[in-house]
Amino acid sequence: MLIAWGYRVRNSIMERIDPRARWIFSLVFLFAITMFWDARFLLFFFLLGFTWYSLAKVKWQESRRAWTLVSLMLFTMIFVNTLVTGGGAGGVVPPGGILIWPAGFTFPVFGWVIHFGLTYERVWFALCQILRILPISAVFIIIPFSMDPRLYGVTFKGLGLPDKVAYTLELAFRYVPTLARDFNTTMDAQKARGYELERMGGNLFQQLVRIAPLLVPVTMNSILIGEDVANAMDLRCFGTLPRTWLIELIYRRSDLVLIFLSFLLISLSLIVTSILGYGEFTVPSWFISLARPV
Amino acid sequence: MEEKKSLWKFGTKEVVNSAIGAALYGVLSFATNFMQLPSAGNVAFRPGVAIPLFFGVAFGPWVGFFTGFVGNIIGDLLSGYGLWIWWDLGNGIMGLVAGLCANQITNYRDGKSILKAELYCALGIIAGMAVAAFSEMWVSGADINTVIYANFIPAVIPNLINGLILVPILMIAYQAVLSRSGR
Repeated sequence: MLIAWGYRVRNSIMERIDPRARWIFSLVFLFAITMFWDARFLLFFFLLGFTWYSLAKVKWQESRRAWTLVSLMLFTMIFVNTLVTGGGAGGVVPPGGILIWPAGFTFPVFGWVIHFGLTYERVWFALCQILRILPISAVFIIIPFSMDPRLYGVTFKGLGLPDKVAYTLELAFRYVPTLARDFNTTMDAQKARGYELERMGGNLFQQLVRIAPLLVPVTMNSILIGEDVANAMDLRCFGTLPRTWLIELIYRRSDLVLIFLSFLLISLSLIVTSILGYGEFTVPSWFISLARPV
Repeated sequence: MEEKKSLWKFGTKEVVNSAIGAALYGVLSFATNFMQLPSAGNVAFRPGVAIPLFFGVAFGPWVGFFTGFVGNIIGDLLSGYGLWIWWDLGNGIMGLVAGLCANQITNYRDGKSILKAELYCALGIIAGMAVAAFSEMWVSGADINTVIYANFIPAVIPNLINGLILVPILMIAYQAVLSRSGR
């Protein structure tokens, strides 16, 4: 099993931005967009999110898997729940609404008449959900592809997390290739003893019990490795003094501008929604006029 | 007071166990992505979910939290699924709640200890997946029924099955390791 991070050097604008500033922007974006259900504001966030995405120069082939997962989630949530069953719009869309097919929907060829409770309001809500979920996904999907894994530890230290927490992240990323190698070694050793991971037939319980010969040795071996590493760190006085880091992150003017703009975004979002009262779900009159015959 | 202190301790051993647990959870999640649930689309079975639960039970709530939180991030990064902070947090809470029984277990082979661990693991799974699933209401505007049937139940049931079967196996193996190494 080959373990490879999705990150590679792309010489993109995104990689020149300080990772701390990137995290601040991403989290602010998430909180800001979730304050709105008005499509006009969501459109602004949609454009902002995908502009941010384009700065990373991540190719479709690389992020295809992530987008497939997002599409599946959107399909379940929006098509099945909001549009078909009508359950997904509760709490945001007021009850009632204008039916798209008040006399029922006639199925072509067979002539069946199905009374479908889909309203114009729910269709508009589905559009708002798409405008909301896609940019949130875009902003977070690019992080693993455009941020060097070696920077995670020092980034979170720079964001104010304690040394021990930041170092936990650093150590976790460092140990992924080692444990992947151990996993492969264990799997090969078990295969030499007749263990077949590919043949995972049987019921769920049987499948799980068959995982045990792989899971147990890898886990116990990792714990024993951990004991030695902890002793080595204690011998080097880990945790007694503030830790220094191999890579030093320095803010540039552009990073500080991005951080300022992030805080401006969240402040304006709060003012617009909480004080001025805008941002709630509304269906535009031109969309409703589609329901009324000319 | 002494017991409470040691449950929430985060020293060198906890740092290393968190890191190794997270790396292990990430690698196992990636390796078992082929085990898809037969009727639930893109939901992988993930037997690796036993790792944050077990690490919480064995090493405490902070280790359980970091194993689940960081491990889920690593697993999703390796699988190319991107970053889903609220689901990462849910996995972290799963390990944290399971770890609340850590200082009550002295013998990992004892039947009562295993039952206690199973109970805490079950509570952890329900709490963690509830946080992750119900956060979808805030992020994507889904209503409670959608969240329960499309997110919560498909996440809880496989995790309960994996956790309740695999955690006792890991506990018994861990007790054997402790006995042999004289710890």
